[in-house]
Amino acid sequence: MFGRSRRPTAGTRAHDCEESTPAVRLEGVGHEYGAGGDRSVTALRDVSLSVRTGEVVGLKGPSGSGKSTILHAVAGLLVPTEGTVALLGTDLTDRSDRTRTRLRRHHVGIVFQRFHLLPSLSARANVALPLVQTGVGRSNRRDRAEKLLEEVGLADRTTHLPGELSGGERQRVALARALAADPDVIVADEPTGELDTATGSDVLELLTDVGRDGGRAVLVASHDEATLSVADRVVPLRDGRVVTDGG
Amino acid sequence: MTLTVALTIALLLVVTGMALALADGGVTSEDDADVTVVPEGTGTISTVDGVEGPQLGATNERAETIGDADEIDHASPVLIERVRLASADGDGEPRTILVVGVVPDDDPRTVAGLSTDGLEPADPHYGDGTYDGPRQREIVLSTAAADRLGATEGESLAVAGLEVPEAAAASSAVTVTAVENGPDDDENEAPVALVHLSELQTASGAADGELADRVLVWGDEDAAVDAAGEAYPDAAVETDRATDPSALFDDGLAFATSLLALLVGLTICTSFVATTAGMTVDEDRRTLAVLESIGFPTHSRLVVVGLSTVVTTLCGALLGAGLGVASIELLNVVAASTVASGTVAQAHPLFVPYAVVVGVVSGLVAVPYPLAIAARTSVLQEVGR
Repeated sequence: MFGRSRRPTAGTRAHDCEESTPAVRLEGVGHEYGAGGDRSVTALRDVSLSVRTGEVVGLKGPSGSGKSTILHAVAGLLVPTEGTVALLGTDLTDRSDRTRTRLRRHHVGIVFQRFHLLPSLSARANVALPLVQTGVGRSNRRDRAEKLLEEVGLADRTTHLPGELSGGERQRVALARALAADPDVIVADEPTGELDTATGSDVLELLTDVGRDGGRAVLVASHDEATLSVADRVVPLRDGRVVTDGG
Repeated sequence: MTLTVALTIALLLVVTGMALALADGGVTSEDDADVTVVPEGTGTISTVDGVEGPQLGATNERAETIGDADEIDHASPVLIERVRLASADGDGEPRTILVVGVVPDDDPRTVAGLSTDGLEPADPHYGDGTYDGPRQREIVLSTAAADRLGATEGESLAVAGLEVPEAAAASSAVTVTAVENGPDDDENEAPVALVHLSELQTASGAADGELADRVLVWGDEDAAVDAAGEAYPDAAVETDRATDPSALFDDGLAFATSLLALLVGLTICTSFVATTAGMTVDEDRRTLAVLESIGFPTHSRLVVVGLSTVVTTLCGALLGAGLGVASIELLNVVAASTVASGTVAQAHPLFVPYAVVVGVVSGLVAVPYPLAIAARTSVLQEVGR
């Protein structure tokens, strides 16, 4: 399940660099929201960590510890004010918005705590959405979305709207959407935060399968011990600093 | 947003329809003549406040001259008067209808939406300008006029009001010779009637000067234009008086009305679209943020916003076109049953593309606002909620 097709990545090929270059590497990353202003807030201070392909890494810490900021930096949604963020060896901090968006489109899948599915689109259309921008044809998008929904156990829910699905089913649709473009890195921000224990456990199992069996780097942010227990290693954060790196 | 745009467009079409009706001249201009001679500049004055507009003089004599020309079948002056009629036996309330005086010939013609077939050919009362010939005392009523007067074929009607000289009223009883359905069902709602021209001229005081509102000419169009131009060198000779929107450009008041409606419609429509589209985009910020997070670049997201704004506006415009035409029909029904004697607004097939163009222009003018809101959306704020 969740096997991957190999294809060119951000300047190299994923399988060429699996052993040498980490899929994600943060070095000396610091970030200040509202930088330079009177009300600036420091979210990250000198954070360095790396995630290898096939590895599941947990980010642990209370609210405001910088977990989400790290995920956003890895996804290229924000550029940290200090340090470098390398995705498959490509430094995102010196790239344009357009390039970061393109890199995210091809190499990063994001799973949100609150799913963030588009309510007016069916499960299949939500999953196929990332492929629209990559230029995949309509029938291929449908096939790919149906295959992914089948892999996350929702083959019989393809035409359902998000409002017709349970929380666990929605999160599985979100996971399928994150996998649509066959990314090298998955970032998940509190993926079980809205789910009960049993459903959360199912979703985590899928997430770890995606990483280990699918040959992807997975970065999971949570303050829940049970969620983090599936990680190969956990990076504890407090006040924007890495307390200790378990790896 | 779609409904708001639809209501604005519908209002625009109703006002434009009213302007078109002003320019068209109403039911009394429903005829099958090939050429019409009207005094220059009639529309504006007569439509502003109902004041009688300029008329043509010596019409009986000149219409005969025109009718005698080669390739001309017939020519007839047309005089339109509001007349209060009532049943001659005193039953029923006096009612105001539009009475149209014509000179019928052997062939049935359509004037004011009614056939002249119910009137005896020729106009003997005219008597070559003496107005002392025998009266035919015939009247052809439209269905609406007959309903209003409660009259049927064969009944006698008498002039009842003060809108014509009383002396004339006494001797002007007429007999209903036909109750006609005109060619257009919508126009039938107007209470109009046909009588012989000279008898109406006598009753209304227009005999002095042989006055009429217009002269209709049937026959070859070019020959009719030449003959009409020769008889009335200073009058306007119209060959195409179908109710088409270009009539708006010929009538100052109607043009001003429709232009004002267009400007107000565009302004209101644009304001509504900008405001509601801005609010919609504000509500959809999370969706836009999700699109960004899964790799849709800024320009793609803006295209989504722009297209959805314009398409929604377009749908509103189409809905508004339907709503506007329906409103015009409703307005006519309400007006006909209350205050007006005929059509007060007219729809036209061109109203649909007109509504679409106005909608699209409004959407395009308004679209920068929702685009600006969309461009300012912060993905981190939205997905972090």
